[in-house]
Amino acid sequence: MAAEGDKFVYDPERNYDDATLAQIRVMENEIASQNNIVSERLSMQNLKDEYADADDVFKLKIKDLESRYHYMRRTRGDGNCFYRAFGFACLEMFLADSKNLPRFKDVAQKSRDELVSLGFPQFTIEDFHESFMDVIEKIEKQCSVTELSDIFNNQGLSDYIVVYLRLLVSGYLQKEAEFFVNFIEGERTVKEFCNQEVEPMGKESDHIHIIALTSTLGIPVRVEYMDRVDSSKCTQHNFPEDSQPSIVLLYRPGHYDILYSR
Amino acid sequence: MAGSALKRLMAEYKQLTMNPPEGIIAGPVNEENFFEWEALIMGPEGTCFEGGVFPARLTFPPDYPLSPPKMKFTCELFHPNIYPDGRVCISILHAPGDDPMGYETSAERWSPVQSVEKILLSVVSMLAEPNDESAANVDAAKTWREDRKKFNEVAERTVRKTLGL
Repeated sequence: MAAEGDKFVYDPERNYDDATLAQIRVMENEIASQNNIVSERLSMQNLKDEYADADDVFKLKIKDLESRYHYMRRTRGDGNCFYRAFGFACLEMFLADSKNLPRFKDVAQKSRDELVSLGFPQFTIEDFHESFMDVIEKIEKQCSVTELSDIFNNQGLSDYIVVYLRLLVSGYLQKEAEFFVNFIEGERTVKEFCNQEVEPMGKESDHIHIIALTSTLGIPVRVEYMDRVDSSKCTQHNFPEDSQPSIVLLYRPGHYDILYSR
Repeated sequence: MAGSALKRLMAEYKQLTMNPPEGIIAGPVNEENFFEWEALIMGPEGTCFEGGVFPARLTFPPDYPLSPPKMKFTCELFHPNIYPDGRVCISILHAPGDDPMGYETSAERWSPVQSVEKILLSVVSMLAEPNDESAANVDAAKTWREDRKKFNEVAERTVRKTLGL
């Protein structure tokens, strides 16, 4: 890179592609070294501390959250946070109450063949499906929350679970393409959208991803929105709207963490 | 997760051996190291690269398929999307976000459900239809755009060279 202040001169012999990628890798490593992939349970004080110097909009919203939630779990800001937060919260919920676990396992088991029938080559999805089923079986055997946390903090295992959740979103969007095509920006097909915004690691999630994942797994989720909107309370949104979710995620623009109700 | 990468690479090799796509041969350089592959790509018919057999190397990262491999032609190849040192620069070898070349938004990107086969098929299309808007070899892009006759001549010379003529 040219020193600051130097006039930029394009050198056709240089490979800027690699320089840019190297810089992105440095930034990623910085984020990775500062945070666990999924943190321990933290008191709401931890969130308060983060906003100690923030303005009243945030302080009031944290107070609102504190009145309704006991703990939070932070996830790493690597673009996979929605999947990581949802996946962890969902599996942790089954550790506490396994009533719906058999149905969940059945859906997960059958999903592989559905993805194959949508055209995903089996050898490309097999390993991810296996990793996902492995963790479900651990939950079935009532592993500890610490074990679950260890799995989610093992980069490889954790990423394999994220990949599979991404595939479930992609599969659902493609299966319901006729409906979802109306919500996709730009001149893109649902398949193109999935290839660019769902399947690649690190691509952030939007409403459409949340709708797809909660629908395909049948696990409703509540999202608390903590943004700059001028209100003393966080905005809540349930997916699907008429559900009573037991999983709650905290959304701050660009990022999802997990919340635990009082 | 190098174990998972190895398992996946073995599965892909098996797949490619059983159902080889037309004009493509690929596999590990030796069975000791599945993370280095060699590929032979036939120049697509009806293009200036027709008749050529172009050797390339694929290098896989330990976290494959979370991250894509790198691909490099080991022969001379004058092409807008191949760096002068042989490295291939197409959208499928990059995740979205990793795209300093500014690929078209509809271009296919790397994700863990892509595969060696998909990459090599994309490379064949790249040979057939260079994309001069995201050029890795500016000189080649310029020649492709402004002097197609010369571009074809260089390509034909390369084809003969790869055949040892």
